[in-house]
Amino acid sequence: MIANQIALIRRELWEHRSIFVTPLAIGLILSLGVLMGEGMLATDTAEVNIGIAAASNIGDESHRSAMINGLLSVPSVIILIGMSILVIFYSLDSLYAERKDKSILFWRSLPVTDAETVISKALTGALVIPLVSFAAIIATQLISMILTSIWIMVEGGNAIHLIWAPASLASLWAATLASMLMLSLWFSPFLGWFLFVSAFAKRMPLLLAVLPIIMLPMLENWIFGSRVFFDAFFVRTVAPIREALESAKASFQISENMRVSSFIADPWQALDIGGFFAKPDLWAGLLVSAILITAAIYVRRYRDES
Amino acid sequence: MTSLVEAHGVSKHFGRVRAVDNVSFEIEQGRIMGLIGPNGSGKTTLLKAVLGLTDCDGELSVLGLDPFRQRKELMQNICFIADVAVLPRWVRVSQLLDFVESTHPNFSRDKAETLLAKTNVNARRDSRIRELSKGMVTQLHLSIIAAVDARLLILDEPTLGLDIIFRKEFYANLLSDYFDEERTILVTTHQVDEIENILTDIMFINDGRIILDTTMESLADSYVELMTSGERADTARNMGPIAERDIFGKSIMLFERSDRDRLGELGELHTPSVADLFVAKIKGAAA
Repeated sequence: MIANQIALIRRELWEHRSIFVTPLAIGLILSLGVLMGEGMLATDTAEVNIGIAAASNIGDESHRSAMINGLLSVPSVIILIGMSILVIFYSLDSLYAERKDKSILFWRSLPVTDAETVISKALTGALVIPLVSFAAIIATQLISMILTSIWIMVEGGNAIHLIWAPASLASLWAATLASMLMLSLWFSPFLGWFLFVSAFAKRMPLLLAVLPIIMLPMLENWIFGSRVFFDAFFVRTVAPIREALESAKASFQISENMRVSSFIADPWQALDIGGFFAKPDLWAGLLVSAILITAAIYVRRYRDES
Repeated sequence: MTSLVEAHGVSKHFGRVRAVDNVSFEIEQGRIMGLIGPNGSGKTTLLKAVLGLTDCDGELSVLGLDPFRQRKELMQNICFIADVAVLPRWVRVSQLLDFVESTHPNFSRDKAETLLAKTNVNARRDSRIRELSKGMVTQLHLSIIAAVDARLLILDEPTLGLDIIFRKEFYANLLSDYFDEERTILVTTHQVDEIENILTDIMFINDGRIILDTTMESLADSYVELMTSGERADTARNMGPIAERDIFGKSIMLFERSDRDRLGELGELHTPSVADLFVAKIKGAAA
């Protein structure tokens, strides 16, 4: 069972090279951006740097620490956005492509159950892709720290004292990884829905997947005047994003008083994991995703391709 | 003899269409069964039912298992090639071997490597399937299948789209690398003439029904082809041939279970080819 899962997930990584390429490409572009920024500072073509180099000038240790943590989170957010798009396209393709190229008959000729196969695809979307993206985040953060250290050393500063010591890397990484996995659980109904659409769509899975998400709340409101679907979708998508933006704005509100949110001072401490798992919406979402993944297994098993 | 496949009253409907209609048959261990039928006759549906890829009505047991409900156990002891196109185009040869090795308990990597070493695929381990020719893909697929210690091999049009050299090679390799008394093969193809000399049993299917199910030995006993002409042809015609055709002014008639001695006096006797018998049976069923 576990050996089969490992083989199946490895198979997903062979087939979908974008799982590696997407986060690494974003990380590379961000690193190049940092390199150019440092280069412009070094050659005096720029006077202000919005990267970690600027944070190194902040005198107050705790403020410098928070600023560095905050700036290190910028690539995390960008890679996270790229990852979300990647998961959407991956999950929509995962059970659709094998039917389109007819390789499903070959895969089903092996002693692997449909449940094992579909679960391997769900695990890839919910766990493996976030883990690969997390590795890309760490690599990008380290590269920008190293590039900034070089610039600081060229300027005659002490990089260890100025940026490495104040950066709460362990806390930041723990919080980033935990947040990514929590986001995976939170958004799992969408993953389940995309896998289900991928399993039954004859063509245009993207359209078939997205249209109901937009149309259902509208139709519901129009016909019944209620907004159950609207609230369910809104609570799960727009609301947490708006919340995150608000908190990010608060975090970066660096005025004369230097308001620093607790989140970027010690990200891991600030993370409310217990509160997250206490949310009824989370469990309702997990139930919906379990139902949708079961439906995808059922479709792959019972559908006749002839 | 043990029966590997037992079907009693197996049916499969698609809406109001009966793709397979109350079919019963058995396949014994160590046989090579040819399942022959025109397009849309239900043979692919029947194979899918045997492979557990589709549910069906009636009693169907394969290796003592319910194929649809015990597909995973079944697939440990069954191999199948449906069409060469089914190998995923993106996978590399080496990856494919790795995957089958890690998921199939009865797959021997060593045997697969030995078989592949004899083919053109050997030098192309890092190539993707889409970069290989159709013949190479078939060689690869057969090497993988032959390396699985499976009791039943199911081939559905395995040589479709291949040239004659590869087709001949495919069946030669099938016999030399795969087949022995322990193993059983169920094969469908349109190119009947290419497999009739390797078959031990034959089944004709038409409109979802089995219209002939016999061994190749009794086929030669039951059916005879008479080549004759002129007045003798009229005499023969009165004996009720199931089919007749003309070649170079001679009449060729196909008889089922008839008086061989009397027919022998009327012209030359031959064992009919499976293809001719098939055409006669299908036309007879349509009439």
